[in-house]
Amino acid sequence: MSFLLPCPNCGERSVYEFRFGGEVKQRPPPDAPDDAWQRYSYAAANVAGIQQEWWYHTLGCRQWLVAQRNTLTNEVLETAVPGAAPGTATQGDEREERPV
Amino acid sequence: MNDEPATTIYFDGKPTAAQAGDTVASALYRAGKRIFSRSFKYHRPRGLLCAAGRCPNCLVNVDGTPNVRACTEPVRAGMQVRHQNASPSLERDWLAVAERFDWLMPVGFYYKTFTHPTAWRFVEPLIRRVAGLGEVAAHPPAASHDTPGYEHRYLHTDVAIIGGGPTGIAAAISAAQQGRRVTLVDDQPALGGHLRYAGRSADGDAAAETVQALTAQLATLPSVQVLTSATCLGLYEGHLLGIVQQDRAPQSPVRERLVQLRAAEVVVATGAYETPLVFENNDLPGVMLSSAVLRLVNMHGIQPGEQAVVVGDGARAAPVVACLQAAGTRIAAVVPTAAVIAARGTKSVTGINTTAQDIPCDLIVVCGDRVPDAGLVMQAGGTVVWDEQRAAYVVGSLPAHVTAVGDVTGSTVDAPAAALAGHAAARQKRSFVCLCEDVTTKDIDAAIAEGFDQIETLKRYTTVTMGPCQGKMCQLASIAVCAQRTGKTIGQTGRTTSRPPTAPVSLGALAGVRHHPVKRTPMHQKHDELGCVWMDMSDWQRPLYYGAADAKQQAVEAEYWAVRKRVGVIDLSTLGKLEVYGADAPKLLDKVYTNRLSDLRVGASRYSVICDDAGIILDDGTISRLATDRFFITTTTGNIEFVQQWLEWWLVATDWRVHITNVTGGLAAVNVAGPRARDTLSKLAERSLGRRAFRYMRCRQAEVAGVPSIMLRIGFVGETGWELHFPAEYGEHMWDAILDAGQEFDIRPFGVEAQRLLRLEKRHLIVGVDTDATSNVLEADMAWVAKLDKDDFIGKAATLQAQQRAPREQLVGFEMRDAVVPEDGAALVLDGRPVGRVTSARYSPVNGKAVGLAWVSQGLATAGQILTMPVRGRLARAQIVADPFYDPAGKKLRA
Repeated sequence: MSFLLPCPNCGERSVYEFRFGGEVKQRPPPDAPDDAWQRYSYAAANVAGIQQEWWYHTLGCRQWLVAQRNTLTNEVLETAVPGAAPGTATQGDEREERPV
Repeated sequence: MNDEPATTIYFDGKPTAAQAGDTVASALYRAGKRIFSRSFKYHRPRGLLCAAGRCPNCLVNVDGTPNVRACTEPVRAGMQVRHQNASPSLERDWLAVAERFDWLMPVGFYYKTFTHPTAWRFVEPLIRRVAGLGEVAAHPPAASHDTPGYEHRYLHTDVAIIGGGPTGIAAAISAAQQGRRVTLVDDQPALGGHLRYAGRSADGDAAAETVQALTAQLATLPSVQVLTSATCLGLYEGHLLGIVQQDRAPQSPVRERLVQLRAAEVVVATGAYETPLVFENNDLPGVMLSSAVLRLVNMHGIQPGEQAVVVGDGARAAPVVACLQAAGTRIAAVVPTAAVIAARGTKSVTGINTTAQDIPCDLIVVCGDRVPDAGLVMQAGGTVVWDEQRAAYVVGSLPAHVTAVGDVTGSTVDAPAAALAGHAAARQKRSFVCLCEDVTTKDIDAAIAEGFDQIETLKRYTTVTMGPCQGKMCQLASIAVCAQRTGKTIGQTGRTTSRPPTAPVSLGALAGVRHHPVKRTPMHQKHDELGCVWMDMSDWQRPLYYGAADAKQQAVEAEYWAVRKRVGVIDLSTLGKLEVYGADAPKLLDKVYTNRLSDLRVGASRYSVICDDAGIILDDGTISRLATDRFFITTTTGNIEFVQQWLEWWLVATDWRVHITNVTGGLAAVNVAGPRARDTLSKLAERSLGRRAFRYMRCRQAEVAGVPSIMLRIGFVGETGWELHFPAEYGEHMWDAILDAGQEFDIRPFGVEAQRLLRLEKRHLIVGVDTDATSNVLEADMAWVAKLDKDDFIGKAATLQAQQRAPREQLVGFEMRDAVVPEDGAALVLDGRPVGRVTSARYSPVNGKAVGLAWVSQGLATAGQILTMPVRGRLARAQIVADPFYDPAGKKLRA
């Protein structure tokens, strides 16, 4: 894995500067049924194609980004600081279970 | 070239004269050496074949480094070269007896013998003794300890050109003239590619002039960087090239350098290389590729033999015939490829059998198929296809920003059909397709007969193309044989996948220099002066205890009793520390922490854990409210980065007004604890530390020893105590001041080991030690820390769900019934079945027996339950205890 990620703050950088944060998912509302929470915590869409995912620029601007990545080619089509530009990022509670 | 003996090298201890410009192989060959190695399996003698660093035939040990290719390793004064895989010598190798037992080692040997465990047990030690390559020294030479030997380098360029032959140089000049930064990479010590050995004839002079003119022009272009002796191992995503460069500078401490070159554009100009022909005894020393002969003659001035037979079709043979004649070798005959039957000889060539006649000779020069070196093209995602018309591999498609130029495209390469037919016709058991792994045409026939008739399965079953040459010498031949036997064309047969590394690479080069970042606390020097034993905790170094390395138990117990009876001080600077500011800070903390923090009063502290939405405990720490909109948080030492990122993540795309600052490095911290902690700190603190003035779980900002500090009255170790967080610059000052103030109470610094024992007696868990990636707050016996009446927090839904079902396991405290201390991690057993595991156990001085924490299966987690666990080979008994092992009511903590 050696692809490049265009960071909206820092420019094009090696993927090794970033920490992967998983797929962008919709966090269920607090009173959602159990199976919605199970899916949110344990199931991944694992898209073969373009996926929205979280990246944290550890060795750069130290900000969370949302990237559109083609999981088949590792081409990163777009990245954005969430909330910075309408339509480019998720709002509110769309978050994913963090890998620990 | 220089005719003066420039230096002396040693082969198996024997001095050998070498000239300037020699490689190990050329020096040895000039001195008469013909056998350079013994083969992997049968221990057949092998001599120089390619002389270009591609085949496996000249692997030797140089100054302790195994598997060095003698033909590309330049000589250095006094270098010690040793043979490999032969005993006692290359010329007389008793292991050559292996060849007589070839029937014991049929094709697919491992697949067949691995299925019989008994047979394998018998065979394995024998194989380990007989088969293989060089040995890694158990104790590497001292020099490699003193100097790193390896380093990593990171480069960026506009255009990376792999291959410094005439086409590659021309591409570099052209790109540089367009104003682009160029990096030209070549695996040989000098640029020029095949022109370097093209010869001294009329043609050869022209070749030398061409190289000279091109390199001179290159030197005028400042935007070109040239890396020689640099092998490109692979082409990865984002045009990242992995390159291993040998460092030949005599004084350089670096032997090999891994260069990671990031390029906007890649030009593959790797050219083509010559491969052997397949006929009986084609592996005998004295059978040599025509390009190797050109190298020996034209680069090293060596006469390769007395009498040569050149095997080659049409015009292919002409240059090498001219070259040999000029070098003084008689040409006994030039024979067409199809006429060759076998090479004769035992340890080296004595003649050749052809369909027409038998010819005595000491050198058989093979004009083999030329194969495009297209591995990088395929790694880039390009295709290499078989052109039936021209009987050659050609580059098909290429991805964007990758181009191929010159011989690698296949446009100038023909594999003579006759040569391919020659591969296919050979059916003898000593006709070697793969020299690395000793795979013969007979082996391939047997494998195909057993059903492995697809090239990819054939490869795996026979291990053809899987040796040190990475298939360079044998890929085409193996495909040709497979195609002929299965009645397919070469195109239909396909070819095996090309993967990195394209050439063998030492693990040292990949590992590089060992960099281990170390973080030291502001009081590091003080601990050192006190003679502590250090431990690593993530990147930090912390005192484990203070005392001699062989007196751990006494030291730890003395530190323990100081805290329990008097007063102790521990350096906590490694704790993660965050300041969280802003009007919405309470909202964020209520969401992320399981405990309720919005109602925390200013001046109060609270313990909490962080869970994920699956309810798993991620971290714990204390949260102290310094002002309405300002919180001070501690995290575990290794988790600070994670907790900060986690908090920031939950802020993303919200309009919450919160700012998070990591103040870990800016603040030093100590914990002063014990019955005399109040007396000690009262001498230093500007405010009252009285029982009512400064209660348990309160925080204050006050000067201590003149230093503005955050004082937290918390009690991890179970005694009256304060955590002080203060500017790191005052670390040593504070440490000295506390030790001075505590002197009259016989204060003692304590380390991590005593702290772990003290907290264990209080049953305070350590996240990551007593919990793991499946632990939730209910099972960890901390239900109180999750405020399920909050509207929401991360992990609430999962915790509610967990409440509905019986826990799988529970974290319990136990005390030993037998006078032994189990190890951390010991298994709990019941009727021979595992029912849990110990996470922490220590001898508790105050209880006079060992105590600990353990996870036990549901149903056993009741007070009084007897558990058994193996301790030093015997089952020991323990009993589950409900309460903490020390001060269960927490009176001392609050005193």
